[in-house]
Amino acid sequence: MIKIKDLQHHFKIGKKGNERHVPVLKGVTLEVGKGEIVAILGKSGSGKSTLLHILAGFMSPETGSVMVNGQETAALKESEQASFRLENFGFIFQNFQLMPGLSAFENIELPLKIKGMAEAERKMKVQKLLEKVGLEEVASHYPNELSGGQQQRVSIARALITDAPIILADEPTGSLDSETEKEILLLIQSLNKKLGLTFVIITHDEEVAAVADRQYHLHDGELVKGEQRHAV
Amino acid sequence: MQFKDQIDFIRQHMKRNKLRVATTILAATMGCAFLIVLASVGFGLHQTITDDVLDNNMVTQIEVAGKSDGEAEIPPADIPDAELQQIKEMAHVIAVVERNKPEAETEIVIGNRSTYSQVVLSSMEEEQKAGFALSEGKMPTKAEEVVVGYHMAERLLTEAEMEKEANGEEVDGFAGSLIGQTVEVELTPFTAEGGEAVESSTWEFVVTGVAKEPAKDWMTDAGIYADSSWGPIFNEEMGLEKGYENILVYADELQNVGGITDALKEDEYYVYSVTEELGTMNVFFTALKAGLIFVGTIAVLIASIGIFNTMTMAVTERTREIGVMKAIGAQPKLIRKLFLMESAAIGLIGTALAVAISYGISILANWLVPIIILSSLGEEDAGGISIVISTIPWQLVVIASAISIGVAMVSGWRPARKATQIDIIQALRQEM
Repeated sequence: MIKIKDLQHHFKIGKKGNERHVPVLKGVTLEVGKGEIVAILGKSGSGKSTLLHILAGFMSPETGSVMVNGQETAALKESEQASFRLENFGFIFQNFQLMPGLSAFENIELPLKIKGMAEAERKMKVQKLLEKVGLEEVASHYPNELSGGQQQRVSIARALITDAPIILADEPTGSLDSETEKEILLLIQSLNKKLGLTFVIITHDEEVAAVADRQYHLHDGELVKGEQRHAV
Repeated sequence: MQFKDQIDFIRQHMKRNKLRVATTILAATMGCAFLIVLASVGFGLHQTITDDVLDNNMVTQIEVAGKSDGEAEIPPADIPDAELQQIKEMAHVIAVVERNKPEAETEIVIGNRSTYSQVVLSSMEEEQKAGFALSEGKMPTKAEEVVVGYHMAERLLTEAEMEKEANGEEVDGFAGSLIGQTVEVELTPFTAEGGEAVESSTWEFVVTGVAKEPAKDWMTDAGIYADSSWGPIFNEEMGLEKGYENILVYADELQNVGGITDALKEDEYYVYSVTEELGTMNVFFTALKAGLIFVGTIAVLIASIGIFNTMTMAVTERTREIGVMKAIGAQPKLIRKLFLMESAAIGLIGTALAVAISYGISILANWLVPIIILSSLGEEDAGGISIVISTIPWQLVVIASAISIGVAMVSGWRPARKATQIDIIQALRQEM
């Protein structure tokens, strides 16, 4: 499903003319199969977010390739990448990244609107998903009226609504307390089992990484295989 | 994204920044209203002058002042009948009237009353086709019968009345109807100053009709209309040259006057019609209106700075939201379209309000300004002229709307482009 091969990337630091090149990814190679949960662990600045951004097509790698469902993502134009993301990826962000002016229902509905789905069909779809993630009662609430856990559930629902096969989660529990963290992780595991979704989770937290089928550590830009799954 | 959803999306964003959007719309409204009202003055003055010209002219009349044969000018009297017949047969020509006036001083006498007048010799049949109408009586059927002008009766004075009139007193003229009256027409050929005196000749005619009152109050018609067959008789009797002839071509409708005028010009006729006068005026007023629209557009451009500012701030404020939308799959062109639609919506709402306000101002100006003008002149009415200060034709609404909405969209173009160039990673890092 995802094939990352010999990915290399570096950042430029310093003023123009006096720049330093700092390598972030040094030949990362990774394969993620359908229905797997893979966790990428790493300290702050280890390059794990850069890896996720390249995987999502937010930025292009300097060398190496990223194949998602047989498609070389770097070969796509900006507009094609947007369509590709809409079809293949769902995103869960640390800060939820919900639209403040839209209700929970409307936030979940947004990707379907972007997709151009008819109103009746998408309303039905969102309603069903709200029930699935337990948000029916707060459907009309705006993000500032929701708890952190509820906001992350809305964010997860938004990631699931397009039926994208791959969910990319960047520190999905980073802004939550430990109780809510557990709830969210259980939800991720349950969605993985019931819907067969593939999850790539970026985290610095061993507890979060523990839900993964496979764990990798990013250390000095190199990916090292870690532990296997154990119960949350 | 479906169009309805796009509309909903921009509506939500506009609602969130009500005050800022409202002030921007206000600026757009003021700019567009200024443009419309300013240009409407040009349109209004054009209408006033055009109406005045049309009121003072037989609008379907084309005057033929002669013809060029390539080398010399042919006066109207010498234009061959065959050529006049060709003009009569032209499409949309309903009559060709040849009016001839004898080169003689004309005195009309009925009993002890008389007045100086002008004999107009013409074909009564053609005059009728051209729309010559009577206020009373009937058109002549015999050569000895004539029609007199509407004001003939009041101009027929006795010697005592003439003296009174010379002293500034009011006189009534001939009382009763002229129909059936026998009038003496005394013609005295014009002579050069100091030339030999010539004898006058007198003819008698019976009045069968009185011409319709002229359209304008200030016009006086005290002429006498006789059949054109009298021309050669007068000339022979008094030894006159053929008098000046006036050829008038009448079109069926005003809209066909231009076409007939052009066709006659192509055939080398010297012609003059109301379209000629309007044509010159139209050039001037078109230039004036274009100038006013240009000046008004500057106001719209000033308003566009507000739209640019509002949209730039909207993009800056929504950077994170734009980043999220791009991240979850929104195409850059969709982002650009949403921002362009928002600036167009500001332009559209502003224009709609401006059009409504402009019509209000126009109605108010047309009511108030003539009152102010007349009161400052100390007059009660404008002498039959209807003063139109401001007119807003649909063309002006279309032009102003196109300029206003176009300028609004151009103002939103750069902010919209900036929105599409927002880096997703940078945008997602922004705090809420």
